[in-house]
Amino acid sequence: MKSTVDRRTFIKLTTAASGALLVGVYLQSCESDKPPAMVHTFSPLIKIDTDGWVTLIAKNPEIGQGVKTSLPMILAEELGAAWNKVKVVQADYDEIYEEQWAGGSYAIILNWDLMRTAGAKVRQVLIQAASKKMNKAVSELSTANGEVRHLKSGDALPFEALLTEATQIPLPEEVEFKPLDAFEIVGKHVPQVDLDTLVNGGMRYSIDIKLPEMVYATVLKNPVHNGGTGTWDDTATRAVNGVIDIVELNNKAYGGRLIGPNSPNFVNGIAVVANTTWAAFKGAEKLKVVWDNDGAQRESSDGLMERFRAQLDHTTVERKDGDITQAQRNAASNYEAVYEVPFLAHVPMEPMNCTVDFREDLCEVWAPTQNPEALQQGLIKLFGLQPEQIKIHLPRIGGGFGRRYYVDYAMDTAILSKKMGRPVKLTWTREEDIKHDWYRPASVHKMTASMDGNGKVSGWRHILANASRKTSLGRDGRPAGTEIDEYEFPAGFIANLQLEYGHVISDVPLGQWRAVGHSATAFAVHSFLDELAFLNKRDPIDYFLEFLGPARMVPVVDEYAFDAGRLIAVVEKVRQLSNWDSSLPKGQGRGFAARKGAGSFIAEVITVSTDKNGKVKILGVDAVVDCGVVINPSGARAQVEGAILDGLSAALYGEITVKDGATVQSNFHDYRWMRMGEMPEMRIEFIENDLPPRGLGEPPLPPAAPALANAIFAATGQRIRKLPIKNVELGT
Amino acid sequence: MPSYTLRINNVKKTVSTDPDTPLLWVLRDLLDLTGTKFGCGKGLCGACTVQYKGNPVRSCTLAISSALEGDILTIEGLSPKEDHPVQRAWVELDVPQCGYCQSGQIMEAAALLSKNENLTDNDINAAMEGHICRCGTYSRIRKAIHLAAGKLEK
Repeated sequence: MKSTVDRRTFIKLTTAASGALLVGVYLQSCESDKPPAMVHTFSPLIKIDTDGWVTLIAKNPEIGQGVKTSLPMILAEELGAAWNKVKVVQADYDEIYEEQWAGGSYAIILNWDLMRTAGAKVRQVLIQAASKKMNKAVSELSTANGEVRHLKSGDALPFEALLTEATQIPLPEEVEFKPLDAFEIVGKHVPQVDLDTLVNGGMRYSIDIKLPEMVYATVLKNPVHNGGTGTWDDTATRAVNGVIDIVELNNKAYGGRLIGPNSPNFVNGIAVVANTTWAAFKGAEKLKVVWDNDGAQRESSDGLMERFRAQLDHTTVERKDGDITQAQRNAASNYEAVYEVPFLAHVPMEPMNCTVDFREDLCEVWAPTQNPEALQQGLIKLFGLQPEQIKIHLPRIGGGFGRRYYVDYAMDTAILSKKMGRPVKLTWTREEDIKHDWYRPASVHKMTASMDGNGKVSGWRHILANASRKTSLGRDGRPAGTEIDEYEFPAGFIANLQLEYGHVISDVPLGQWRAVGHSATAFAVHSFLDELAFLNKRDPIDYFLEFLGPARMVPVVDEYAFDAGRLIAVVEKVRQLSNWDSSLPKGQGRGFAARKGAGSFIAEVITVSTDKNGKVKILGVDAVVDCGVVINPSGARAQVEGAILDGLSAALYGEITVKDGATVQSNFHDYRWMRMGEMPEMRIEFIENDLPPRGLGEPPLPPAAPALANAIFAATGQRIRKLPIKNVELGT
Repeated sequence: MPSYTLRINNVKKTVSTDPDTPLLWVLRDLLDLTGTKFGCGKGLCGACTVQYKGNPVRSCTLAISSALEGDILTIEGLSPKEDHPVQRAWVELDVPQCGYCQSGQIMEAAALLSKNENLTDNDINAAMEGHICRCGTYSRIRKAIHLAAGKLEK
């Protein structure tokens, strides 16, 4: 398998730190009778001190996906460290780390080889140092549990006894990885780092930062998407105890709207600065604003969906295999269905916030961001700063789901801190968060299958119409891509296949939402396959397996092939796990969907019951996952449970609507997500293999909606073609 | 601004603020007790849950002027060394994902267990209904509450 990490990253991160860093640094000792430990830095990711403590740097933002534990586990594994003598330290943003972001389920994919290389290099110099000291051949030495061991004699030396010698040895260019069957940390259930402060309130998230002289702020943004600022009366606001200032946030003053996911764009509005967050909230509520909405389209959801439907006939072809027209003409039958999904908000539990201390020499930022590079670039564009004038800290993040890929709230904060000349902590209300999200695009999907007399599919046409997230930042932008790309399943499996995209320009701000395009396309594709199975009077799993054909590598595009065998294997396993072939009582039904995402293969079966009032109860979820090597079973299982619950919540309830250009929903009462009592039993199994680990934070999400909708069909005979399910009248 | 004396985690604290200031912001901004989290500001998500007179309350909607008569317990005061049975169970089952909602969940669970140790799944679901976890840790939370109940009996 070709590594996805480029050479440059490897060289920077796995070579010795600069000379200055190589010199040992004494730590302050807490106990006066004990000499302080001296820390030896081997590389930007690994330090070892003379007390035997290994410090590993967690480079990527932790948003709850577990990377602060899983990436250091890989480092520790190759190093041969003792996990109970490892300290994990969160990195600040630094260009040296590269790929220092959280998104697309990429953390493990991009860092697996990198972490192994970094760990193995330091292991090799420790072994070389031990070889001299112990007078044993390098080939007879190995590391484990914080020691270099000579297995034949049973002799061992702890890492701390080798530091002076080891730091004199240059890190090797070539490394040899540990064989997977020798792993002692990776693959074991490892409780996450930071558990103590996560249960005692001690964890400082970005929203908990407090600095000397800091003031607090909040924003009131123009509720109309793509609206301007306006004029306001702040008499009542200024009368609120604690209110210090009112500041206009006008993006025209900073170049206006800019295109692209790394844009420093922020939404027009007014900020209230005060001596507490509460005073700022109260002050913002009392602002009387006449917003300038001259430039806005003032759309409504109904009107937008109508435009998407109309756009199905005006498309560009994204992929064309064979001849779909000919296939349709030659088919015994053609079957068509249209599916629709709504806008979705992210609502991470930690509302949007940021703390900035904008000083003359340095702009220091504490941000809950999945995308620190975009934040840095935003500050450079907005203020003309140099990279070295910006310091970005990455505290733990209270959930992201794609929302924190955008850095609008951080731009707000930097403007305020610069204006106030002191540190500012900005906190958005939940209402501002929901009304000014970068929503999952709503979309309409028209599916057409051409079949022979036996129901075998010979032609597949999928047309998607929406306002793409890729043009979310301006109505003049053209899509840099779409939600349906050349990889969309079943590309490669069907000889005559056409994927098309109809683009509508809208003011509704759009962005990445967990599993990105898959969250919508999977619902259309896997509901449609279930419809085809029913149409042909076939069992849905049998029909899907026939649709996939034999286990083989299916070429999709140059250098990328789909391993059908791995998908078939998870489907067959979920069939057993769920007792798919057993009968269910009347009123209950099972639904199935299986898909590849972020390199992983997932099959899900959902069992539901519905009562005569149409209330759906999810009785159980069975999922089989092949993500290659599982780094940490505890964290991996948590990701699967969470992603499936997210998929189910969105399918049942998730819906953002716009009216007259503004978002209708405002808080958790009208943007509902599942609660504990609705959490179904989940049986989750992982396929064990030695293949490189792949993404897990997103892939279990997309199959959940179609599996649920297919289960409702099995239970009631009612087909769900439009999400969310709460809007569908279900009665039997 | 008026001055108020509160009893928080067995310590008397005096603050000056408007009478309508929610307890949440007194804790977070005036007293730097940031373990209690802001989630919705309307009592809809449970992230800000603390105990007042032994009962779970949403501190984002409880005005300071209404919180003067009894003891306030926050996550920071639940136990001296994160060894409350609920906290031990949370650690044992590796419950949190992002962790942001967990202070509120733990304070609710601790209040629930202080009144009833024999809990069914339905009892737990009903008591925890007011809490949202966007990461989906619900099943581990439910297991951890059962586990904590077992630890209490010992």
